[in-house]
Amino acid sequence: MEIYLPIAEMSVQWLVILGMGAAVGFLSGMFGVGGGFLLTPLLVFYGIPSSVAVATTSSHLTASSMSGAITQWRKRAVDFKMAGVMLGGGLLGSIVGVWLFAILRKAGQIDLVVSAGYMILLSTVGGLMLNESVHALRASQSGASAARRSTGHHSWIHGLPFKLRFRESRLYVSVIPPVLLGFAVGVLSAIMGVGGGFILVPAMIYILRMPTNVVMGTSLVQIIAVTALTTILQATRNYTVDAMLAIFLIVGGVIGAQYGVRVAARLRGEQLRLLLALLVLAVAGRLLFGLVAMPDDPFAVALGSP
Amino acid sequence: MRKLFAALAALAVVLCAPVRAEDLVSGISQDVIEITSNYTGSDIVVFGAIERPVDSGTRDVVVVVRGPDTDVTVRKKARVAGLWINSDQAILKGMPSYYFIASTRPVAQIASTYTLKNFGLGLANLEPSSYHSHHDVEPFRAALVRRMQREALYTETSTSVEFLSETLFRVRVPVPASVARGKYDVDVYLFRNGNAVSAQTTPLFVDQTGLERRLFNFAHAEPFIYGVSTVLLAVLLGWISSLLFRQNL
Repeated sequence: MEIYLPIAEMSVQWLVILGMGAAVGFLSGMFGVGGGFLLTPLLVFYGIPSSVAVATTSSHLTASSMSGAITQWRKRAVDFKMAGVMLGGGLLGSIVGVWLFAILRKAGQIDLVVSAGYMILLSTVGGLMLNESVHALRASQSGASAARRSTGHHSWIHGLPFKLRFRESRLYVSVIPPVLLGFAVGVLSAIMGVGGGFILVPAMIYILRMPTNVVMGTSLVQIIAVTALTTILQATRNYTVDAMLAIFLIVGGVIGAQYGVRVAARLRGEQLRLLLALLVLAVAGRLLFGLVAMPDDPFAVALGSP
Repeated sequence: MRKLFAALAALAVVLCAPVRAEDLVSGISQDVIEITSNYTGSDIVVFGAIERPVDSGTRDVVVVVRGPDTDVTVRKKARVAGLWINSDQAILKGMPSYYFIASTRPVAQIASTYTLKNFGLGLANLEPSSYHSHHDVEPFRAALVRRMQREALYTETSTSVEFLSETLFRVRVPVPASVARGKYDVDVYLFRNGNAVSAQTTPLFVDQTGLERRLFNFAHAEPFIYGVSTVLLAVLLGWISSLLFRQNL
């Protein structure tokens, strides 16, 4: 069965769209990442114009993150205070990001900056996580209890001013690192069109040292806010949000997200981190391939003039 | 004697020409294509008849369907330090978003390149109204044509004109689901010995109807409310799903 998308102005198989939404939703629920870095390329590969794909993906992220976040919230695994602090930086970051995006597009190399930036970021994050999770798994297998989060551990972060107590995260830290983190994610999400969960999750685990189970829910809350804002901005500026496409992606996505949360509940933290590390590295590998492999056609066609 | 013969011949030409001139009438099976939620592409039929046919010489029929013009940016990648990056680009203005041409013979055999370029007949003779490029635009234009052919938005065929009788013909024109909305021109040309002796243009409209139309209008007329509604829909669906799945966690 095919369905016509009024904004993308094309017909698609709705089952394929539903399936893509479900697969990405599953990962979203499981890892607390939005999955935009997977869904947008999938939609573009299916033939949907990239402007519509980027814009509509953000509404899918809102829904699947909502679904996952409510489930996490029932388990008391959301640190709203932390999410709010990060969001403050995040909103500022997206404004700066939109401005940067315009400059890069004028220079004509936005594609390269996006792919190369993604690739470097993903392989760094993925590599660090893989290394850490493998060590943690080894340690737990060798009999000794897995290296516990050292609450008394002091780093430079604890020397910063403006400290706040985050009860759900069992942390007493300065607000500067979370605000900067939110800001960085806001910039990235505006430039690359993603929620930023795949950066946020590792950063919350390794830099802020939040407990893994709280990280997922908190990240999802942050993603809801960022993607809701992006959807409205895209709809008002570019008219590129396709509600018909969004419905099918969302229905698939929210169902997938529910199963993702369930699977995540059965896995241990380090196993989850290992899987996310592998996923992130796989996407980085795909991007690297796209940059160095000989293209089928050296010419790329885009409707409209920049 | 010779003079008289020449005079008679001239007279014959003058008298007979308006009567004997070949002409063309054509029409299309539908003048509006309505895109609905289950639109997966369709065919329109362009038909025509040659009036007052002349038997001598070569006669060719060319049918062209041309969609609304659009601007296209074509970028060329080149290898720099091991990476494939965009190195060059051309902006082609006024290229058709859809182009279909069917002729009784390959167009290059029908008329001179000058004539073909003049009428924009054939994919090789399809040119932008203007362009911005630092280099030769042809490779970029050819790349665009290749890409559009892959997506079935550009078609050139010399086997689709079906003659039902000596003078009656029809052409089936496939209109894929990804066509742009707007006004299309259906042009039917009659060529005789390489010259266009008759041409007829019929407009064809492609538009959305029903829910799709209302969604499209909503998105453009009230973009802020449309965006907010999409977000609310997303939030609502996310919330409903977590309720539905609540019991079996």
